[in-house]
Amino acid sequence: MASTPHTVVVGGGSTGCGIARDLAMRGVDVSLVEKGNLTHGTTGRMHGLLHSGGRYAVSDQASARECIEENRVLRDIASHCVELTGGQFVQLEDDPDEYFEEKLQGCRDCDIPAEVLSAEEAREEEPYLTKDVKRAIRVPDGAVDPFRLCVANAADAQRHGARIETHAEVVDVLTDGTEVTGVEVRHDSGPGKREHVTPGERERIDADYVINAAGAWAGQIGAMAGVDVAVRPSKGAMVVMNCRQVDTVVNRCVPKGDADIVVPHETTAILGTTDVEVEDPEDYPEEQWEVDLMIDELSKLVPILREARTVRSFWGVRPLYEPPGTGTADPTDITRDYFLLDHDDRDDLAGFTSIVGGKFTTYRMMAEEISDHVCEKFGVSATCRTADEPLPGSEDFSVLRDYMEEFGLRSPIGRRSVQRLGSRADDVLKTGEPNPVLCDCEAVTRAEIRDAIDQSGTDLNAVRIRTRASMGNCQGGFCCHRMASELHPEYDAPQADAALDELFEERWKGERHALWGEQLSQAALNYALHATTMNRDRDPGDATVDFGAFDSGADDLHEEVNHGD
Amino acid sequence: MSDTENPETASEVRTENTVEADEFEPIQVFPESEEMDLRPGSDDCYKCSTCDTNCPVAAVDDEFPGPKFQGPEQWRLKRKDDHDIDDSVMSCSNCMRCDDACPSDVPLSQMHNTARGSFVENQMDKLSREYVRNRILANYGALARLGSKVPRLTNFVMGNSVVQKFNEKLLGITSERDFPAFADETFRTWWKRRGGVAASKKRAQDARAERDGANVESDDKRVAYFHGCYSNYNTPAVGKAMVRVFERFGYEVMVPPQRCSGTPMFANGMLDDAERAAEVNVRELAAAIEDGADIVASCTSCSMSLRQEYPELFDFEGTASVAARTYEALEYLRVHEDLEGALDDAEIDGEGDAESENFAYHAPCHARNQGLAGQAVELLDRLEGANAEDVGDSCSGISGTYGWKDEKYDTSMQIGAEMFDHMESVEGETGLTECPTCAMQMEHGTGYEIRHPLEVLEEALVD
Repeated sequence: MASTPHTVVVGGGSTGCGIARDLAMRGVDVSLVEKGNLTHGTTGRMHGLLHSGGRYAVSDQASARECIEENRVLRDIASHCVELTGGQFVQLEDDPDEYFEEKLQGCRDCDIPAEVLSAEEAREEEPYLTKDVKRAIRVPDGAVDPFRLCVANAADAQRHGARIETHAEVVDVLTDGTEVTGVEVRHDSGPGKREHVTPGERERIDADYVINAAGAWAGQIGAMAGVDVAVRPSKGAMVVMNCRQVDTVVNRCVPKGDADIVVPHETTAILGTTDVEVEDPEDYPEEQWEVDLMIDELSKLVPILREARTVRSFWGVRPLYEPPGTGTADPTDITRDYFLLDHDDRDDLAGFTSIVGGKFTTYRMMAEEISDHVCEKFGVSATCRTADEPLPGSEDFSVLRDYMEEFGLRSPIGRRSVQRLGSRADDVLKTGEPNPVLCDCEAVTRAEIRDAIDQSGTDLNAVRIRTRASMGNCQGGFCCHRMASELHPEYDAPQADAALDELFEERWKGERHALWGEQLSQAALNYALHATTMNRDRDPGDATVDFGAFDSGADDLHEEVNHGD
Repeated sequence: MSDTENPETASEVRTENTVEADEFEPIQVFPESEEMDLRPGSDDCYKCSTCDTNCPVAAVDDEFPGPKFQGPEQWRLKRKDDHDIDDSVMSCSNCMRCDDACPSDVPLSQMHNTARGSFVENQMDKLSREYVRNRILANYGALARLGSKVPRLTNFVMGNSVVQKFNEKLLGITSERDFPAFADETFRTWWKRRGGVAASKKRAQDARAERDGANVESDDKRVAYFHGCYSNYNTPAVGKAMVRVFERFGYEVMVPPQRCSGTPMFANGMLDDAERAAEVNVRELAAAIEDGADIVASCTSCSMSLRQEYPELFDFEGTASVAARTYEALEYLRVHEDLEGALDDAEIDGEGDAESENFAYHAPCHARNQGLAGQAVELLDRLEGANAEDVGDSCSGISGTYGWKDEKYDTSMQIGAEMFDHMESVEGETGLTECPTCAMQMEHGTGYEIRHPLEVLEEALVD
């Protein structure tokens, strides 16, 4: 067999992007196809916890050990996506002592650094914790931005020659009866970068090997090839708070339960979660009780949450899997371990493997295992380097810089930009052009938006996940249109309009279940502003606007000055 | 915060807030903690930008990002270990208009004060000219105590143009302004010479006897006067007017020991200095409250500080009580006495052969924040011989020590331009305001003589 077999990876989540990077770095020819944008499935719908393993230290020690190992790796290779917040397992007055002891022992058994904090110490670290804290265990939990991590993996894969196709849905897995020979995809627009209003086409991609990394959708991909992959999707609700009430991950130290974790995530805090099995990973009820439960339960841990502003809620679907015949009834009891299903061994269908189960924190380890598996098949001798080579953005960098001097940015804006961009900051921010802030809530400047557009075309949701623009407290009310106008003149007005609509809809979708108090005022203000200034509450019809007639701003001013000279 | 929009119910409303503050009040959680976490305050901001459109500095200074950025945005972007504050916070003049403008109760000035305090503590070079200058300006009261010991010499020296140039070159204090003159005798010296509280008690009793025909002992009518630095060292006439007017209404006036209210210290981010001063003030004023007095101030920035900034920034025993029982002088009389009636029956003479005296009244921003912007004009409307005209709602631009800074002087004058303009169009050449530094600015911009409403009340009501 050729030394550069062509492998197709289905799924642009953390696992798929991790596999694409790993294989590409080993010299394998890889194409990754994803039906939405990167992180479209479960990866983009998690609470952003970088597990220390503490959560599994009692129930699932094998997973716990993997977590702490990968936790250390990611801090190294993905430092610009990871925040070393630390975490606490908090015992309240009435919570069982035995479990606390078990948890502590479990952490020690799994080599997870664990330290007992008195109530006083716990509250000194996290002043908003309830006064009912009895004691806590400190563990090295962290926060991770799944979007930037995925994007960085995909970017590095591309740098090593991989092809990454987003908005390319697999409509068929091609087989010759004994072997999988490729996939057929439907491009939403393109192939290539997404461009709204541009018709897509179908494409047949031949492959020597196909890896099904579609997560909760793995069953559907399996079915296209005629094999049974019994993923048991389980939904979990999460609620995004407007600001960070805690700066460390706060877990409740009880055996298991819904709504027991608060994760500081970028500028926000994310409350999680529930665990309810669903039939279809794309069509399941998003229920209000789940949101209410988060706030009711977690305000016992952090009382300020009861009054605090929510900005949105979202649901993710865990791609749980257990070997046929296990028959666990309660989804919370299903293992979080991952499984590599080689369909050649299992179903006599060669050239096809599914990877299911697992956790975000161990994505790299899963990718390594399946890449080893594929490389072995094709006799590729290169070894895995993903644990040692930093991702683009995480090469040596420091956030301690003189932002005004270097980038002309006010310090909190410069600091946030560099926290997001990592070592790419100089490339992205030093454009030599005026660089106004376009998203005030998240401190995102024009340069960063333009960099993201260069990567992802007119897909403003892809711009959003790269930059966090429109993810702050106004939920895009003040910046969606500014982002869209950056598409012009490279893309024309109808394309920018369509992209804007799509971003708005996505923002609105998540706000609906957390719409009271200040966020309701915000929504009302957003509506009024957009209705009165852009007429967006009416069908704009096909009115064409002569954009050329508008004052172009700074350039004219500049010219005037020159005329004066 | 002030409840003065409903003066008739004010006495019921403003009882001491002794209930245990909400469990998550940031300064309550760990009183010993130096750091304040105001990120939850950003929950209230829905970015409408009304604060920015009401900011007098943002209106004239394109480089200034405005209160929304300084406050809720900057706080929300903060992580626990982030300590750098943008230096633009030093361009905020602390007029606190944003507090008043916000439709959603974002604690803007509290955010600005704490951010500025942190900036000065962690990022400003303690040997820099700016720090030394700001420290001097912020501690005006302490310097004034020295200078006023030899007022004529000090006035001569400070009025010397060579000294003024020296101040500008060495310290960055503008030479455009004339340093305010010290009075020959401070208010407190006068007060002691006059017989202190015993004399005041006697005069109050006489006034009550004259009015009610009975020489009753009354503990109810007792106020503690917070004169602040300026009335003490520079304009004791205002302090004297306060004492005489309150005695006229039968109040025994106490003058407790006191230090600077802290206003200039907050504005310069000198929170440690402010805390030391506030501790003394709260202790002394709380003791006066124990003795049955309410607190009355003649300077609206002093009353603002006691009412709003102390409880937002400090947590001494008695802080809430002092905040709840502090009033501005005219406000207090409107709430507790028939000041309107008294003015209906009174009159003043116009200057020379003029039929009435015209006042160009400017409401200080800090009066505005306490809901007091309209009261002086309303009251003087009732007084025969007086005609007060509001010169509009712009900020005067000086904002205490702000307009004294060499690099802020032009901004200060640009902000004040509208007010100067409106003052010019008022007949007569007398200005009127409650704030001593607004008075400096009004005088500086127009050459008018500037008076305090209490002085007019004294002229009208005290024989």
